[in-house]
Amino acid sequence: MLEIRNLHATVGGKPILKGLDLKVDPGEVHAIMGPNGAGKSTLGNVIAGREGYEVTAGEVIYNGKDLLELEPEERACEGIFLAFQYPVEIPGVNNTYFLRAALNAQRKYRGEPELDSMQFLKLVRAKLEILHISDDLMHRAVNEGFSGGEKKRNEIFQMAVLEPRLAILDETDSGLDIDALRIVAEGVNRQRSEKRSIIVVTHYQRLLDYIVPDRVHVLADGKIAASGGAELALKLEEQGYTWLEQGGIQALDMEIRA
Amino acid sequence: MNTSSPMTLVDRWSESLRAAGPLPGPGWLQRLRERAVSEFSESGLPNRKTESWKYTPVRAFEKLEPPAFGSDRGVQAVVRPQALLDADCTMVDIANGVLAAPLPEAPNGVSILALAEGMQRYEIQLKRLIEKVDLEGSSNAFAALNTACLEQGLVVHVSENVHAGALLMRWASSAGGASQFQSFRVFLLLEAGAQLDFLEQYQSEETAEKGLNVIIQAELGHGAALGHIRVQSEPESMTLLTSTSIGQTADSRYSYRGFDLGGGMVRHEFEAELNGPRAFADFSGAFVLDNKRHVDNHVSVDHASPDCRSEQFFRGVLGGRSRGVFNGRALIRTGADGSSVRQSNANLLLSELAEMDTKPELEIYADEVEASHGATVGRLDEDAVFYLRTRGLGDDQARRMLTSAFCRAVTERIEDRALAAKVAEMVDSAMPGGLPGNSAGPKAES
Ligand SMILES: Nc1ncnc2c1ncn2[C@@H]1O[C@H](COP(=O)(O)OP(=O)(O)O)[C@@H](O)[C@H]1O
Ligand SMILES: [Mg+2]
Repeated sequence: MLEIRNLHATVGGKPILKGLDLKVDPGEVHAIMGPNGAGKSTLGNVIAGREGYEVTAGEVIYNGKDLLELEPEERACEGIFLAFQYPVEIPGVNNTYFLRAALNAQRKYRGEPELDSMQFLKLVRAKLEILHISDDLMHRAVNEGFSGGEKKRNEIFQMAVLEPRLAILDETDSGLDIDALRIVAEGVNRQRSEKRSIIVVTHYQRLLDYIVPDRVHVLADGKIAASGGAELALKLEEQGYTWLEQGGIQALDMEIRA
Repeated sequence: MNTSSPMTLVDRWSESLRAAGPLPGPGWLQRLRERAVSEFSESGLPNRKTESWKYTPVRAFEKLEPPAFGSDRGVQAVVRPQALLDADCTMVDIANGVLAAPLPEAPNGVSILALAEGMQRYEIQLKRLIEKVDLEGSSNAFAALNTACLEQGLVVHVSENVHAGALLMRWASSAGGASQFQSFRVFLLLEAGAQLDFLEQYQSEETAEKGLNVIIQAELGHGAALGHIRVQSEPESMTLLTSTSIGQTADSRYSYRGFDLGGGMVRHEFEAELNGPRAFADFSGAFVLDNKRHVDNHVSVDHASPDCRSEQFFRGVLGGRSRGVFNGRALIRTGADGSSVRQSNANLLLSELAEMDTKPELEIYADEVEASHGATVGRLDEDAVFYLRTRGLGDDQARRMLTSAFCRAVTERIEDRALAAKVAEMVDSAMPGGLPGNSAGPKAES
């Protein structure tokens, strides 16, 4: 599905990713954890194609294609979805209108017929319920005046409607209370399938109690410093990132290799 | 100062105004016209030193022929635009600056008259309004010109407590013929409790090259309500000047919803006098510019009475090498306590070469006044563009969506939902093509 090799990227001339390797197979859920500023969001932005994130070395292969060659909208149409750490407010653009336009743009790209508003509503109704998204929210401008939790649920709702093949969820858990976290996790879990890969970026282990990953990676200083199973997340939670920064990673690495 | 070519124009125009000889109308009007010609020829056209015309050059007028008189102006050749409202509204056509006959049948309690007839019926009111127009100085040159050729006009009178419904005025000019500068005057007289929806549609043939100098004067009686909607989609070859003055008494309401989607050189002046308590004037406008188009909105509200409210809400989208001007003035006089003034002007620059000049002017001399104002000139939010693109929308589509949303804040202020949707569509299709990215440019200010 996704293979990243020796990825180096700079933001504003500053090196952030420094030789990152990652391989995600279809149907897998990978968690990426790491301290603030490690480069987790940078990775998401590079995969989504944000301008200003310059890849200076390495490659990103997605379904056999050179992902870095594609425009952001082409990546989206090819099945990549980024749930933003900070979803953008878009005054004046109606949430329903926006999502239907996005879905239709993707359907058009794939040569499928566009959906009219009735067909669209039928399609989204069930998904709205799962994510506890009210009609009111759908009639408002995209993310405008949404609470933190509403924004995150709206991201996962968009994912549910767009049905990507690779979703990157950037700290979708941050700022959520326990109930909202359960709702979001439920929304994500329902979308797990053998054809869909999900990368869950998180700062805390908490989310991973609900979305149990196949693999956990620690991203520190622009590289994957360690990888392991779900138990790695627990270990990190126990020890904290300071422990990791203070050289614990070497010990951990040994453990995992052993 | 060496301004030989505009001087020539002023001389030429003044001469042709004098040569036109006496126009129909009462004696006081003849004398006023003569005075207007003298004022015009003395002060000349505004120039860069005329404060209120600082950002709006009058070059566009130099290609125009002197003001035209009479009804013999190739009126038959004028192609009328598809009406903005559906069939059963009352409609008045102005072709090449001439009021088309016959006038529509007016509903009960409403009179729709040509100026000559209107003068017979409402001379006292019209005289007061006509004499009120300031003719002095270069900043009022076009008002003087309009008065000097005051001949074509429309008078609408709505009797006490009559709800007149909608009146649509369609302005159109023909592509052929001389590049005349046409003057027209509209009088809207609303008695106490009267209501009128006054719609204007400006749309000429693609290559029409004419100038239009329109003055609208309205008087609102106690509790009267005037809704004014203007949709302007003139070709770039057209020059349009309008000046709208509203005299308001207690509890009266005026609302303006204006959309400038075309025109080469366009300037709208507004003046509201809130002369009775609790009067409300609300100006909302949007413009979409590309190429070298120019739109200038000058709004001035005079709070002369307590507890009045006024609002100014303008949005501009500027592409190409276009230029926009907004000047919003509100004066709260001593004693106009409890006034509320809101002003907001936001502009979106889509090109490096477009330019916007915006200037709020609040002068407050009363107590307990609520005032807010904000002006921004910015670019599309690139974070929002990226967000939309990550969902599959193309760069161009994303930019269009954001730009059109920006203007929707104004179309949404049209009460009639169907008309609002129609205008929103017109605004969208007037958007500059291509909407080039400005990822290198600065982000929107706030
Ligand atoms: N737009 C930007 N301009 C400059 N520096 C940035 C920008 N975005 C992120 N960075 C820097 O890149 C580093 C990694 O940030 P980020 O990827 O957001 O980390 P994480 O998501 O792991 O907290 C940080 O030092 C941050 O300050
Ligand atoms: Mg981050």
